[in-house]
Amino acid sequence: MARSKPSSSKKQPKRGVDFKKIKRKIGRKLPPPKNATNTEIKSKAIILPEQSVASERAGLAVSKKGLTLKELLQQTSHHNAKVRRDALTGIRDLVLKYPAELTLHKLAIIEKLRERISDEDKVVRETLYQLLKLVIFPALKKDVPGSLISLMMAYIFNGMTHLATDIRLMAFKFFDLVVQHYPSSFFMYAEKVLQNYEDILRKNHIYLQDRSKLKNALVGLVRCLSLLPCNRRTVDPSYGKNTETQGSLHAYELEVPKEHTDFSSIIKRLEDILPILVNCFQDFIPLVHPMSSLDAQSFDCMLYLLRSIDLSVKFFLYGIDKHQTDFGVTKPTYNEKDMPVWGEIATPVFLRKFLEVFPLNQLHNTSGKDEDKFFILNIEITEIFLHSNEWIFTSAILMERFLEFIENLLSGKIRFNSRSGKALQEKHLTSLLPFIPRLVSLVANTWKSRLLQAFTMAFKDCKPESTLNLAFLSAIEEMLLPSKRQGILLLDASEPEILDHQITWIRELPVLLVRLGDTLSSLSKVILHLLLRLGQYAPMNSSLAWEYDIMQHTLGEFYSMCLDDGSILYGPFMKLPKDCQELSVCCLYYFSSLDSLLLRSLVYCCLCDNLEPSVLFRIIDVLHSAYKIGHLQLVDLISFFVTLVARWKVLPGRLYTHVENAKKISNRETFKAITGAVCSCLRQMGDDALIFQIVQRVILDEIPLNPPIDNLCGMLRLLVILDSRPTKLSEQSIIILSNSISEYLIDAASYIPENGDEVTDSNQISICQYYLVPCFFLFDRSDKLLNLVLDLMGSSIGEDNSSLACNHDTQHTLDLSSRIVAVVSILLYMHQDIKIRRRLSSCKGEITRILQKMRLQSSNEMGNTLEERHKIQFSFDRLKIAAGQLNCWDADELKIISLFE
Amino acid sequence: MEVVIASSPVDAGIGCWDLHSGAEQLRYRSCTSTPHGLACVGQRFLASSQLRDSSSSSGSILYWSWSKPQVEVKSFPAEPIHPLVSNSDGMYIIGGGSSGAIYFWEVASGRLLKRWHAHYRAVTCLFLSDDESLLVSGAEDGCIRVWSLFMVFDDIGMEMAKNPYEYSFSEHTLRVTDMVSGYGGCNAIIVSASEDRTCKVWSLSRGKLLRSIDFPSIIEAVALDPGEHVFYAGARDGKIYIASINAETTSSNSYGKHIIGTLSDNSKGVTCLAFSKDGILLVSGSEDGTIRVWDAKTHNIVRIYRLAKGPVNNVLVVRRPLYSNRQTSENSHSSFSRRHAPLLPPPLGKYVNSTDENVDSGAVSVPQTPSSDIMDAPYLSYHVLTKQISELQQQSSAATGMEVDRLNLDCKRSVEIVQKWKEMFAYLHKFCVDELLGNDQTQTQ
Repeated sequence: MARSKPSSSKKQPKRGVDFKKIKRKIGRKLPPPKNATNTEIKSKAIILPEQSVASERAGLAVSKKGLTLKELLQQTSHHNAKVRRDALTGIRDLVLKYPAELTLHKLAIIEKLRERISDEDKVVRETLYQLLKLVIFPALKKDVPGSLISLMMAYIFNGMTHLATDIRLMAFKFFDLVVQHYPSSFFMYAEKVLQNYEDILRKNHIYLQDRSKLKNALVGLVRCLSLLPCNRRTVDPSYGKNTETQGSLHAYELEVPKEHTDFSSIIKRLEDILPILVNCFQDFIPLVHPMSSLDAQSFDCMLYLLRSIDLSVKFFLYGIDKHQTDFGVTKPTYNEKDMPVWGEIATPVFLRKFLEVFPLNQLHNTSGKDEDKFFILNIEITEIFLHSNEWIFTSAILMERFLEFIENLLSGKIRFNSRSGKALQEKHLTSLLPFIPRLVSLVANTWKSRLLQAFTMAFKDCKPESTLNLAFLSAIEEMLLPSKRQGILLLDASEPEILDHQITWIRELPVLLVRLGDTLSSLSKVILHLLLRLGQYAPMNSSLAWEYDIMQHTLGEFYSMCLDDGSILYGPFMKLPKDCQELSVCCLYYFSSLDSLLLRSLVYCCLCDNLEPSVLFRIIDVLHSAYKIGHLQLVDLISFFVTLVARWKVLPGRLYTHVENAKKISNRETFKAITGAVCSCLRQMGDDALIFQIVQRVILDEIPLNPPIDNLCGMLRLLVILDSRPTKLSEQSIIILSNSISEYLIDAASYIPENGDEVTDSNQISICQYYLVPCFFLFDRSDKLLNLVLDLMGSSIGEDNSSLACNHDTQHTLDLSSRIVAVVSILLYMHQDIKIRRRLSSCKGEITRILQKMRLQSSNEMGNTLEERHKIQFSFDRLKIAAGQLNCWDADELKIISLFE
Repeated sequence: MEVVIASSPVDAGIGCWDLHSGAEQLRYRSCTSTPHGLACVGQRFLASSQLRDSSSSSGSILYWSWSKPQVEVKSFPAEPIHPLVSNSDGMYIIGGGSSGAIYFWEVASGRLLKRWHAHYRAVTCLFLSDDESLLVSGAEDGCIRVWSLFMVFDDIGMEMAKNPYEYSFSEHTLRVTDMVSGYGGCNAIIVSASEDRTCKVWSLSRGKLLRSIDFPSIIEAVALDPGEHVFYAGARDGKIYIASINAETTSSNSYGKHIIGTLSDNSKGVTCLAFSKDGILLVSGSEDGTIRVWDAKTHNIVRIYRLAKGPVNNVLVVRRPLYSNRQTSENSHSSFSRRHAPLLPPPLGKYVNSTDENVDSGAVSVPQTPSSDIMDAPYLSYHVLTKQISELQQQSSAATGMEVDRLNLDCKRSVEIVQKWKEMFAYLHKFCVDELLGNDQTQTQ
């Protein structure tokens, strides 16, 4: 305690030093602190020397008014509606002028524009709509970022729940626009959108006044619903598609997850929406009856309502079908009740009520336009009825009404009055026709015959170029043949009346085919496919098969027709594309006995230059196959083959002369291939001896007609292939043959290379062999033929050439000296062949005679120039040497010959 | 012993050659077979459907045993049978008729078990998938149908189902000439050839066309490489085309797309093809009556057999049991062995007999392995089986009675033991209590 006291006394003076008290007077200003910041800002006005926009923004993209994109975007949220509208039009100008701006700033543009979706001003919205529709969406079509859509959708949904009805309806229009350009976006927002539709339709009486708006909204709904999957009735998918070009079949396949959307939520929404649609439609009905005319707006509304009902019904059916096919194979259908069938419970009641309104009719005022409108509405209702027919039990009276309507429609009792009516009617008929087969199979007998009657009439009246034909054909196919999915016949062909109709259809088919010509090859293809199916599936020995056989009389016209004056009129077959030709050729296979008349018209086609060789080979193939299963007479087939070989036109012209004759070369090659194909067919037929007899007879009929050298060669080949050694040729035919062969050999001699020792064109040698080898075979097999031929050759040298020229093809007429040269070269060529040389040695008499004749000719001074005589002399020497080599002349005979010298 | 058997539509008999040594075996006489109409039934005997002139309404199927050249059994079905096929153990023979019906016979009894209308036109070829659950048939109208044998015999199921077949392929426009299937049962691929100059590859699992290959000529026969990389297509122009299944073919070559080469011998048309079991030797029959054996690896001809002047239309490579070889040698000199020759089953029935379709008449044939003594092994009939089953049932009922007795006994014994234990426990308890009480008493005292 004592210590602390001094310390306190010491500290007292220090306090004053630490905190010096500063005395200030009140009212005086304090000096600024030393570390104070100078906050004073000094500025000067900036004076731009020039304000002109044009010069400053020279490099920038600007609109007509000289505003940049940024400015325009800013202006879109201006409080003045007019400015906003101008900004939008400005953007439009700018984007049209500078498309690059859009792709660069698309996100910014959309972000700004979407705010205008729920703009209060009607004109602004309309301008925005036009801008999006005409400029922005088409330009952005290629790159669709999902983010863009979702950006828009937020505001669209906002608009859909807006208090102002105008804005709400407009929002639907915007959504329609989005779906139109990006269909997949519907499925992303389907539930919400449908919900909104439901809301708006529920309060329809509010909007009834403004029908055009409602119509717009409904258009959107129809578009959305048409995106939903449904059972598409295509003509026949199986022959339209081609197999995917997959490289290796066992390769590991990457499982691509298919775009799968969960339909369950959509189903629920649709179930809710369907009754509302029906109610909405019924609200319109009272409007219809009292009024004298139906205005266009409400008609459109009704039409779209019907369409949406139709589409949702279709969607439900699709769901049911899908369930059945998913389990159809593994699970029989008895547990149908367990399946959660889509929309099963709620819908039928509404629909039944709805269908009761049918038919919409206006009895009193029948102005043309209105009738058409009612007609269209009625057709739409009928379509819904037919779709739903499968799962609603309808009352008989209603059924009658519908059936009567359909009958009238088919028979044309109800017609459109307006000018465009024809096309419209066709369009609507096309949508109804696919239901006919099912309908016919289900309804009672009286109706069955009435419907079929109307159907057949309509089919007969249908013009060939009409698009309706396709629908008719698929309906006919369904009614004629067992269906692909079910494997059973829809109609019982044993009933005579149904059979009558079926026969009428079948008879109509070839007529239609001929009338079509080559104008609509796709339709021709469908008809041919139907014919093929008919041939395949018609039960054997049934009346349908019989009818199919009869059809070949009319089908001949399809290939070609021989007119009275001998000229040939080619049918549509020649002009159709190749796949159609192949199909029609395949049809031939199924005729249980091919008519010779049809074969004749087929031959004319085959002989035509324009026919592609591959089709020709197909015809040969198919006819041969048809023969194999007994659908074709042996004699008919052989005469077909021989005619083909005998008459096929080989274009004249030497093969080796010109390069530009490439086509001609291929032509001759084709003929060789034809001969080869015919030969192999003949060989496969079985009993060679019998076939040889027939072939021989047919060929001998052809030979006196002096066919060109190629054709004769082909025929000789046919004989050689079937013949055996020794020959089976009869005496008489040998005589006939020897006549033509001697001429043939002289013609062929021109192909013999001039000098056998020199290496000549290999092509020429092969041609020469091609011509001569069949003769050599014949000579080898028959000595008599050789003798006769040599005899004839000898006599041809001796005679005056003028008498020969008249009965010979003028083109190949040779003067005497060249004839002699030809004979000699033939003999020399034969001499080179070892087998023939042996044969030649046995007929020295003939050779001697030839030598003598030559001697005579060479000594004959008159009519022969010096050069010719020299040629003959030269040939004579060559032949003499060859004859000497044959070792068949003894010394005496040689002397006799030399005596002539 | 692996042998090649071949037959012809002209009467040349059935030729039989050892595939590896090339030695010709017995020739079985008087056979004019239809295309695809030769079958080896369970390696026990040969069967072939016969060509007949169109006037006769009934067909005929002949049997030959391995050991004798003469026809042993003749049967006459209701209509001409074209293709004939048997399952691997030889229990059933399936034939396709000219009216489009398919016949299903049981070999052991000869009964016609089922006849159903399969096609609109004559059936041209038949085969069973390698697990023998599916039957695939091709017809003159170009239609190919896949049948499940389960479904075929399930009458109720047939009625319930939309269609009796599993698949119906109608993409061919003309007659189906041959078909072959890969491995994998119902997941296999099948290759079909048709007179429309195409071969088509189908998937059995997905039921759709995988590939269609155009050939320059009509394909009469197809054979599938065991690795399923390629298939061989014997054409009417005498070539055997090799078409790829698994390789990527980028450019089309001279023959056409997917065709990678040919085996060619300048012969007449190829009519039939078969692969040996080792998958290397390819046997082809030709129009000119010869049978060529090719090495599929080197594309060379290994051997040529000559059957007849007429065309060959069936070639099979089968495994022939060795005992029959021994038998033939015995047969030649001893009449004793003739008695022991394997009995061939009775001829095939003409109609489905619905009258005696009661329960008892159903016979079950038990397939025999060829190594077992086939001569003395009779077929076990249904009666025997039912007897055995009933015996089994009786046995089992007696056994359960015994079991119950035994259990009852056990139960009684257990109850007794429990009783004993209970007594023991009571005694012990009493003893303990007494002891404790006694102690207390002594202490308090």
